[in-house]
Amino acid sequence: MARGSNNRSRLLLVILLVTALFFITLDLRGVSLTKGSRSVTQSTLAPVQRTVSDIFSPVGRFFSNIKNFGKTKAELDQVEIANAQLKSALTLDQNAKGELAQLKGVLDLAGRGSYKVVAARVIGRGSAATFSQTITLDQGSSSGIRADMSVISANGLVGLVKTVTSSTSIVQLISDPNFKVGVRIARSQSIGILQGQGTNTYSLQLLDPAGTILVGDSLLTNGSDNNHPFVPGVPVGQVTWVDHTTSTLTQSGDVKSYANLNDLGVVSVILSAPSAAPSTPLLPTPAPIVTVYITAPPAPVATGVAVPGTPSASPAAKSLPTPTPTRTK
Amino acid sequence: MSIPRIFATLGFFFVLFIVQESVVSLIHFPIAGFSLYLAIAIALIALEDNNGAIVMGFLGGIVLDLSPTSNAPFGQWALILTIVGYMVAANKESIADLTLSPLTFVLFVAFAVSVALLAYLAFGTLLGEGNGSFRRDIVIVCANALWTIIFTPIFLPALRNFRRASLTSRER
Repeated sequence: MARGSNNRSRLLLVILLVTALFFITLDLRGVSLTKGSRSVTQSTLAPVQRTVSDIFSPVGRFFSNIKNFGKTKAELDQVEIANAQLKSALTLDQNAKGELAQLKGVLDLAGRGSYKVVAARVIGRGSAATFSQTITLDQGSSSGIRADMSVISANGLVGLVKTVTSSTSIVQLISDPNFKVGVRIARSQSIGILQGQGTNTYSLQLLDPAGTILVGDSLLTNGSDNNHPFVPGVPVGQVTWVDHTTSTLTQSGDVKSYANLNDLGVVSVILSAPSAAPSTPLLPTPAPIVTVYITAPPAPVATGVAVPGTPSASPAAKSLPTPTPTRTK
Repeated sequence: MSIPRIFATLGFFFVLFIVQESVVSLIHFPIAGFSLYLAIAIALIALEDNNGAIVMGFLGGIVLDLSPTSNAPFGQWALILTIVGYMVAANKESIADLTLSPLTFVLFVAFAVSVALLAYLAFGTLLGEGNGSFRRDIVIVCANALWTIIFTPIFLPALRNFRRASLTSRER
C-alpha cells in the first residue's frame, strides 16, 4: 500500500516537473502568454501597492529609525539635501574643467534641469521571487513613460524603466547585476562601462587603455543615441577604489552611487532631453598633428666655406626644435 | 488533495504574494530582505503529506512565477518548489517528528528556504541569468534563513489553525 502511494507521488512529481519545464520552455521561446500573465499581475498589484505604500511607508523605515534613535530626523534630512547639492555642484565643476582641458565645446551640465520629466512615487521594492533589484513606480504609460527611459533622483541616476503598464512601471536599479551603463569620468572624459553588482558599490571598467581612474573621480552618464535609453550628463557616482593591478588592459575600480537607493521615495523619469544636452562623446579621437616651429635664421657669419646640401651647413636646420605633438580640436 | 482545497490554496498563496510584494518588500531589513512568502509556503509544505507537499510546492511556485519584477522564466519557481516539496516530504519524517518539536520544525523550514534560494540561483546560472556576486548571494540566503528562524514561530500557530480549517472532513 505504501509502495503504491510512493509510486503515485513519483508519478505526480514527474507530471508537475514536466509541466514546469513546459512553462519554462514556452517562456524562453517568447510565447506571450507567460509575459501577459505577469503584466496582469502587475496591473492587479498596482492599486494594492499604492494603498499599502500610503499606509505602511513609515513601517519601511522602522529598522533605520531604531538605528538612528535619538538623532533629529529633520536635521539629518537637511544635511543630506545640502550634501547632495554640494556633490552635484562639484560634479558640474569637474566636468566643465575636464571639457575645457580638452578644448571641447562648452556643454554645461547645469542644463540637466531642463529635462522633461515626470515625477513618480516608489510604491514597491524588489520581490520575493527574484534576486534582481527593482522598484515599482506609481506612474505608467498613461503619463508618457515608456520602456528604456532613464530614472533619476535628486542625487543622480537611479535606473532604467524595464516594463510599463498603464498605471505602473518597474525600474531596474543601477545596483542590479544585469544593469550596465556607459559612463565618462568628469575629470578626464575617459569612457567606461559601469555595472551593478547587487550591492551599494558598482564596478567600473574603462574602455580607453590610456585612461586613468582616480579615487574621487565623478562619473556621468555617457548618453545613448537619441537620448534613449540614457540621457547624457546625469551624475552616476564617485570612484571609491581603483584596481592598480596590471593584469588587464584597461583600469577598473569600484564606484559608489550618488543616489541612495535604499531610501527612494520620489523619483523622476526623463521623458525627453533638450536638444542642447551634451551629445554622445563616442567620437574617434583625432590623430595627433606634428607642428614644426622654425626660428628666425641667425645673421650669417663667414668663418669658412659651407658645402651646400650638408646638414651642418644649414643654420636653419640646426634651430629646428623637437617636433611637439599637439591635439587640435 | 481535493479540488476545492487546491483553489483555496491558490487563493491563499495569491493573497500571501500580494502581502509580500506590497508590505514586506517595503521594509528595509538589516543585512538583507526576508521572504515571508517562501517561509510560509515551505512551512505549509512541511505540514502536508507526500502528494500534498508536491502539489502545494507546484502551486506556490506558479504564484511566485507571476511576479512582474522577476527576470527568471515563468515556471522556474514552480520547478524548484515542486522539487523542494518532494524533498521536504521525503525527508521530514527521517529527521524528527516535526509536529512535536517546534524548534526543529523552524530550523527545518529555514534550511528548506535556503535550499530553495540556492537552487533558484543555481538554476538561474544554468539559464544565464545574472545574479550578482556569489558573496552577496550567500549573504542574502543566510539573512533569509535568519529572518525565517526569527519570524516563523510567530506565524506558525496561525498557520496550523488555518491548515486545520482548510482540511475537509475526509482529509482530517
